[in-house]
Amino acid sequence: MTDTLIQNLLNGALTGCIYALIALGLSLIFGVMNVVNFAHGDLVMVSMYLTFWIGLGTGIDAAITPLLTFPLLFLIGLLVYYAIIDRTLRQRYVTQIAVTVGLMTFLRALAQLIWKAQPRALPYSLIQGSIQIGSYTILASRLVSAAVSVLVIFGISLFLSRTWAGRAIRAASDDLDAASLHGVDFRQTYALAFGLGSALTAIAGGLLMTFQQVDPTMGVRFGLLSWCVLAMAGLGSIPGLLISGVIVGAAEAMGMSLWDPRARSLVIYLLFILVLWLRPRGLFGRK
Amino acid sequence: MSAPILQVAHLTKRFGNLIALNDVSLEIREGELFSIIGPNGAGKSTLFFNIIGLQKPDAGQILFRGMDITGKPPHKICDLGITCTFQVPRAFASMTIEEAIRVGAYKRYGERDVARKVDEVIALCDLEEHRRQRCCDIGLSLLRRVELARALATEPMLLLLDEAGAGLNPTELTELMTVLRRLNEEQHITLCIVEHVMQMVMGLCQRILVLDYGEVIAEGSPQEISTNPRVIEAYLGKGAVC
Repeated sequence: MTDTLIQNLLNGALTGCIYALIALGLSLIFGVMNVVNFAHGDLVMVSMYLTFWIGLGTGIDAAITPLLTFPLLFLIGLLVYYAIIDRTLRQRYVTQIAVTVGLMTFLRALAQLIWKAQPRALPYSLIQGSIQIGSYTILASRLVSAAVSVLVIFGISLFLSRTWAGRAIRAASDDLDAASLHGVDFRQTYALAFGLGSALTAIAGGLLMTFQQVDPTMGVRFGLLSWCVLAMAGLGSIPGLLISGVIVGAAEAMGMSLWDPRARSLVIYLLFILVLWLRPRGLFGRK
Repeated sequence: MSAPILQVAHLTKRFGNLIALNDVSLEIREGELFSIIGPNGAGKSTLFFNIIGLQKPDAGQILFRGMDITGKPPHKICDLGITCTFQVPRAFASMTIEEAIRVGAYKRYGERDVARKVDEVIALCDLEEHRRQRCCDIGLSLLRRVELARALATEPMLLLLDEAGAGLNPTELTELMTVLRRLNEEQHITLCIVEHVMQMVMGLCQRILVLDYGEVIAEGSPQEISTNPRVIEAYLGKGAVC
């Protein structure tokens, strides 16, 4: 009993690292331009399908496809920003939500049209086998995925704190007017944040495809999941995002093993409501 | 007389029915220490916001060194050489003082030279011992110095200061005035200050413009302004002039 529980917790915590990676993309977008992007999870779904397509068509492994899909999703992010988001920045919240929900529905319908409404998975992955620690087995693909996620999160954190563009993003997030008065071009900065946030879903999509299948409806699950992680962490703390991702992943696994596999979402959202109720700024958020 | 650096012509800004600026014209000359004063709600901050591009005027024109900058976005105006500090300091809360100043310095410098510029400005504003502190942890007078430093890092030709002296004690005020005078003399930065602290306006500025209810009611030297009946009336009410 405890063995299965710990085993599941381990798996959940590892998957949680990928959730944190997805949520980091969302946090870049929401934290900087205050846009509630409901289509974020569907970009993960699109990334997974692109990974599937590339894998099937060329034989390139899912673990390597992010090298191709990362720039692709960055461009898609730029396109979405300039075509849709930029026009709604000064509109009311409802308008922004409407366009991102619209985009979400569009992406899902597009996926259904192109890839049909059935789960797809890649037949194999480069990352094979598992690691035995005591009586617990960890799938190598999950472990590598978690490690890559943590590395990428760390890399983004360095990018934000050390580079010119990263500081511009943070400055725009802290105070847009003050940033633009000191030479930060807000449109360019927003586009960069949106592109980068979207591109992170490419990495997550590739990693997920090493051990999971994809179907057109899973976008909304990842979307809401990443909002949970973000709300739980609060804005402005990247380590907090990682910890929240792990908590969400572990809670999900625990709910599945202790209660009922169908209760996975229930557990996450109960936790989500609890955190919002007791600590609205999130576990690690500022102010 | 030196060439004009900023010309504002017939500027009008409305917010619904409220006319915040009504046909305001002014001219600031290169190297000048210029001041805009007026009672609360006279339109001083609105005038600043329109000059630096955070708000777009409904009518009128703004020329910077002869070039029309009306309605240009703030980062372009910053490129050209105008920047400002805010009435309520708005440093970047998540950053250290050094980083906040860096954001300004990137405007003119690449990664290699940016540190040199930051050091220079930090020395000028006497922030060396504070450079690693976070902007969200520091007090008002220090925040004002950070704002000034960050603005200087963009290397402006014209610097607009919105109530930079408010809330400072007499010693801090004297220090600020010394720094501003140095900037003007050594770096030839034209200064335009909006201020309530008369000690600073009268002690520092060569020319003063007075706004009241969005209109220019007087312009002149400190002596002329301090004896102008319309100005006294605007500040103290009718009947104050005997």
